[in-house]
Amino acid sequence: MIESTLSELESRAAASIDAAATPDSLETARVEFLGRKGALASIGKDMGKLPPEQRAVVGKMLNAVKQSLESQFDSKKAAFDKAALDSRLAAEWLDVTRPAPGVRPGSLHPLTLIQRELEDYFTSLGFAVVDGPEVETEWHNFDALNIPATHPARDAQDTFWVEGGHVLRTHTSPVQVRAMEKFGAPLRIIAPGRVFRNEEVDASHEHTFYQLEGMMIDRDVSIAHMLYFMKGLLEAIFSREVTVRLRPGFFPFVEPGFELDIQCLICGGPGCPVCKQSGWVELLPCGLVHPNVLRAGGIDPDQWNGFAFGLGLTRLVMMRYAIDDIRHLASGDLRFLRQF
Amino acid sequence: MKFSYNWLSELLDGALPGPAELTRLITMKTAECEGVEAFAPALAHAVAARVLEVTPIEGSHNVQARIDAGPVHGVKQVVCGAPNCRAGLVTAYLPAGAEIDGRVISKVTISGVESDGMLASAAELSINRDHSGILEIDIEPGSPLPGLAADHVIEVDNKSLTHRPDLWGHYGLAREIAAITGAKLKDPVKASLLPAGEPLYAVEIEDHSLSPRYSALVFENVTVQPSPLWLQARLEAAGMNAINNIVDVTNYIGAELAEPMHAFDADKLQGNTIYVRRAKSGEPYDALNGESYTLEPRHLVIADSGGAIALAGVIGGAGSAINSETTRIVLESANFDAACIRKTSAEMKLRTDASMRFEKAQDPKNTVRALARAIALFEIVSPGIRLHGGMIDNFKAPPAPAPITLPMEWLIRKLGRPIEAAEVRAILESLEFGVAESAPGVFEVTVPSWRATKDVTIKDDLLEEVGRMVGYSSIPPEPPLKPVQRPWVNHERLFHHDLRQKVAAQGFTETYNYSFVSEAMAARFGFTPDQHVHVLNPISVEQSLMRISLLPGIHRNIVDNARYSDEFRLFEIGNEIHKRQSNELPHEVPHLMAAIHTKADGSAAYYELKRLAECLMPGCEAAPASSLGYEHSARAAAITWRGREAGRIFELHPSLVESGRASVLDANLAVLFELGPAPKRYQPLRRFPSSSFDLSVVAGLRELTGDLGGRIRAAAGANCDSVEFLYSYQGHPLPDDKQSLSYRITVSAPDHTLSNEELTGIRAAIIEALKAAGYELRG
Ligand SMILES: [Zn+2]
Repeated sequence: MIESTLSELESRAAASIDAAATPDSLETARVEFLGRKGALASIGKDMGKLPPEQRAVVGKMLNAVKQSLESQFDSKKAAFDKAALDSRLAAEWLDVTRPAPGVRPGSLHPLTLIQRELEDYFTSLGFAVVDGPEVETEWHNFDALNIPATHPARDAQDTFWVEGGHVLRTHTSPVQVRAMEKFGAPLRIIAPGRVFRNEEVDASHEHTFYQLEGMMIDRDVSIAHMLYFMKGLLEAIFSREVTVRLRPGFFPFVEPGFELDIQCLICGGPGCPVCKQSGWVELLPCGLVHPNVLRAGGIDPDQWNGFAFGLGLTRLVMMRYAIDDIRHLASGDLRFLRQF
Repeated sequence: MKFSYNWLSELLDGALPGPAELTRLITMKTAECEGVEAFAPALAHAVAARVLEVTPIEGSHNVQARIDAGPVHGVKQVVCGAPNCRAGLVTAYLPAGAEIDGRVISKVTISGVESDGMLASAAELSINRDHSGILEIDIEPGSPLPGLAADHVIEVDNKSLTHRPDLWGHYGLAREIAAITGAKLKDPVKASLLPAGEPLYAVEIEDHSLSPRYSALVFENVTVQPSPLWLQARLEAAGMNAINNIVDVTNYIGAELAEPMHAFDADKLQGNTIYVRRAKSGEPYDALNGESYTLEPRHLVIADSGGAIALAGVIGGAGSAINSETTRIVLESANFDAACIRKTSAEMKLRTDASMRFEKAQDPKNTVRALARAIALFEIVSPGIRLHGGMIDNFKAPPAPAPITLPMEWLIRKLGRPIEAAEVRAILESLEFGVAESAPGVFEVTVPSWRATKDVTIKDDLLEEVGRMVGYSSIPPEPPLKPVQRPWVNHERLFHHDLRQKVAAQGFTETYNYSFVSEAMAARFGFTPDQHVHVLNPISVEQSLMRISLLPGIHRNIVDNARYSDEFRLFEIGNEIHKRQSNELPHEVPHLMAAIHTKADGSAAYYELKRLAECLMPGCEAAPASSLGYEHSARAAAITWRGREAGRIFELHPSLVESGRASVLDANLAVLFELGPAPKRYQPLRRFPSSSFDLSVVAGLRELTGDLGGRIRAAAGANCDSVEFLYSYQGHPLPDDKQSLSYRITVSAPDHTLSNEELTGIRAAIIEALKAAGYELRG
């Protein structure tokens, strides 16, 4: 009797679960058949009225029916949950091609980039990075560098003069003297910075540009040592093997003085407009420090000597990034600056 | 300085490399050459030709000429436009295939008439600058033009000759070439030509330090006339203008021996004494260039008893100039102090060939060599010329410099490669240094007079002589074996680099502006000229002042970029240059200036800059500040960081930005660096939980959020962790002149969890304090 009721209930419940079209109707079916006050529960209550031997049999049946229904319910519920999640995910579609909001990082000036690079390179070789004033004494800018007032070399540097008899430094070389005064020998320094020449501005001339001065003072520094550093410097800058040539150059603060040329990286030697058809690009004036300059810096030239060089950073930046007009660098034009 | 390849060849015995290779060798061993160019290539083809017959061409100023160009070319027909083209004239003929002005002459039809080659002017042949007609000569048709040949001109960079007085003449460069190539130097000077006997003039030199030597010769029976074509062509190649035979010879010797000379008309001189003296104060002087000068004792003059006849070493006087009537000349060959000449020439803005040479410190021994050379040349260019009297020569030789001691081991250490003593000796001797071995491996080197004036004085100079001649390319790069040293660290520079990185990461692009501003630019920001360091010799008004703020530059960047873009961020790190007392160097103060331009109302940009300031100066505070002229009067704040005034944040005054709004952060990096990064010290984490509650305070519309937050914090007592501003609200039910400001207060205690009573107590204390200060609380 009770067995048939149970089996009839099972098929009804199964039909209800199966027919549930929504999570709500499924829940209703669960409450109706599997809830605490549901049909199966009330059969369980009625079981107490059965004789003990029958009770065990019916109890087993009841459990079997309950498990079967619960499992049907669970899988149906899981299906509903999955469908719900799927539809939520589908609804949460994003247009991944839309531009991201917010401010983009800015950029550093190419002259900053090249300075940092060279500072890192020279720091790795034990050089200190030293600064000097942009408005400089005449003595540091000229006299201490073995360029007395009557020296024709002063003509080569169109100097801006300011009040007090001072100058806007025409090169970073005065920092050589300041560094010798401050640190003495031995000494390894570089001094990148802004320099000024009284020149009309055009595509290849500026009254304001950047140089990097370098100096090494030690005992018995030779031209061969200087060449080692200069070649390494150029290879670091251009990230490739470069062919260099060293020829005489006149700068009063070095003796001997040199011009270091690199073989034109554009044409590789046969000649092109960049190298003015010569196959060589003049890049790095350098030399052994003149004894008078060592003396001006308070260093005994009989005990110490060294080399110095001056690298045109503005020129280098233009070569590195193929910039055809020097005026871009001080233009403040973001269309230019954002490219770096 | 221009050098003629033919001229150099004439001064050397032995085969020379071609012009291009010679140019390269000079660059590698002596001085930088700017280039080498064919000069007068047409002369390789030019021959004399006689004009046989001239026929006018209808409707053209040109004529048709039949010419006899000698046995090789025969009779030709050419079209010629020169006014002096006439039958019987012997002139220069260039056949087809010759080259002038970089183009090759070919058979062409001009004015309807066929022209086979051309007749050429002296200018077209690069002999001189005479364009007025075709050349007129008197030689056999068909023969080449005498003494004229195609040449090459090597241009050497003057800057690389600054220290080499001897290289301002062909002979000096020829000496270098001899040392480089092994060719033999030929001296064009015959000293034996110098006359003995009593000179006609005495020379009084007031100060031998200004003029160590004054030499001169007197010539009579002079004929002033044009120089022969070969001499004119030489001057032309060297970049000079032919004038007349006398002047041309002085210029020729200048370009050959580097000794500037000057010829006076002897009949225009007064008295028998030539004075070399300082000018008298206010002494008037009329120069050859037609200008009048008023001289001062700092100027050196050559004078006769009547007054100044030349500004020494710079320019001759008008009163004693030679002209076509001249028959007697005094030829000056002197030596002057380089510094004195340089100062005078710079002051008078007279850069003459003479002053350029003298300011390099010429060799006083050279004066009489130049005179001997002049005797030989005058005999050629002015037939019949005669010397009158002996050589005038006043010379107080400066003490001969001591020989330079050159130890071989020192030389090798500095060179960085081995070299034999014999090779060193050979190099120095090829450059005419005297070399004696005073001890094994030690040379005593005597410097030749033309290198001794200031060029070569120490052994380092000799290192250069040896190094350049062996060739620097023979020195292999070698790493030095020196003790390692820990370098000094430039923390300030690293700090600036770090800031750049941070500011760029926040969206700002770095600009570099000039250190200059114009007075007008400064005035726009209320800066007056007297606040600035002045540039005394600016190229233009744009560079007349040194910036005392980065703002003018940044403002220009804003205005310029606003033409292309509505919203942008930029910054600069650079020095402000501030005037100091007396003659001290100005004070250079590094600043950071960052700016945002926007079309929006500007408050977001302002707060973005405030956020940037907090990134750089964590915990900095902004307080309203009375605005400067260029600032928006209600949007200006002073920034303090750790008790120091560190900068400002402001919106630019609307009159300065028409395209939108621009906010600016200006930070004094000297202060930031001095303060250093905020000290970091670990605080134990609180073990007991914190609690938070919110309060909304009704306040006036101009109530400062920061001030009210400060009041709350003060009232909250020691257990307050933070007072955080949440939002403001205006509108119903608040009256129009009020807003509500909401804060979240977080409190905790180090040693226990705060009880409900304690929390209530803190809250009550805050409310009480606020009420006491006249505030109401909302909800
Ligand atoms: Zn090239």
